[in-house]
Amino acid sequence: MSIGPNASTRLPIEARVLDVNDSIAAETRADLGRRGIFTVDIIGAPGSGKTALLEATLRELRGRRHPAVLVGDLTTRRDGDRLARWCDRVVQISTGQGCHLEAHQIREALKQVDLEGVDLLLIENVGNLICPVGFDLGQSVKVGVFATTEGEDKAAKHPYLVQSADLLLLNKIDLMPHLSFDRAVFESDVRLLNPNVPLLDVSATTGEGLRAWLDWLDSTNV
Amino acid sequence: MHEFSIAEALAAQVALYAPAGGRVLEVEIRVGALRGLEPEAMRMCWDAVTYQTPLAGSNLLMDARPWSLACPACGREWESPVPFVDCECGEQSPNPTADDELLLVAISTEDDVPAGTAASTEAPR
Repeated sequence: MSIGPNASTRLPIEARVLDVNDSIAAETRADLGRRGIFTVDIIGAPGSGKTALLEATLRELRGRRHPAVLVGDLTTRRDGDRLARWCDRVVQISTGQGCHLEAHQIREALKQVDLEGVDLLLIENVGNLICPVGFDLGQSVKVGVFATTEGEDKAAKHPYLVQSADLLLLNKIDLMPHLSFDRAVFESDVRLLNPNVPLLDVSATTGEGLRAWLDWLDSTNV
Repeated sequence: MHEFSIAEALAAQVALYAPAGGRVLEVEIRVGALRGLEPEAMRMCWDAVTYQTPLAGSNLLMDARPWSLACPACGREWESPVPFVDCECGEQSPNPTADDELLLVAISTEDDVPAGTAASTEAPR
């Protein structure tokens, strides 16, 4: 109500704060869907083994699938260089100060890739269990990567990722004999937050469990 | 710190919706518990993002929505700021659910234009 100086007017709005990001992501999703490209947003902490997992995945997919990879890091091209040994369509996205990827960065990065013939887009998000989760990139599915070396409490402490993930991978399963990681606690926390999400044990270095992950990739469609 | 990116996006949204000319006093947002937004960090980022802009000095009001808990043993339902809590009945695994809404709810602007002038009749857009 306008009743003179120093009064205020309250304007009700109800608009999504991330509307711009979400709109760009929706356009990307529609475009990739039209091209028949299955897109995976891979989210995990620094050191959880996301890049190693992607290296192993790309190695196994050679001759069978036609992947492209986008990899986000604050700085350096090291992950991109590692992945480029296994895939000729890799774009490194430097986020500078950004702790997560956003939809506009994916849209720009995709302009640098020849998507002709591509049937799988793997996006390695910036190493972070919190910030990337709330930013839609236009992915088909979201995969969360935890590692046994991080401790069993990481699922409970990161409920948004656990609740919104389409698949969870527990990496570095080969190190279990050397750790005090309580897998029962980890799994019960996961189940409490997301009763139905598939949870697969893997080791990017020994290859243990990779078959189930690759089968999941093959059987889950756009 | 995702609070910073969200504050930037929020400032852009507020600029889009705020009526021309009126100084913004308050910005109200509603945030689901899944977002994990820290109110203190959010206010700090808001002040940083709006520094030396027309939104400088505006007050960010954050309605942090809680987790909903449902006890599988006794059926009790209640709200909590954290997802993992025991039920009063002793059950240690109540089911936690939460929303990930992140909404700009309202903007309050100062009415510093004297009533009766042409400017005050401009419809906000």
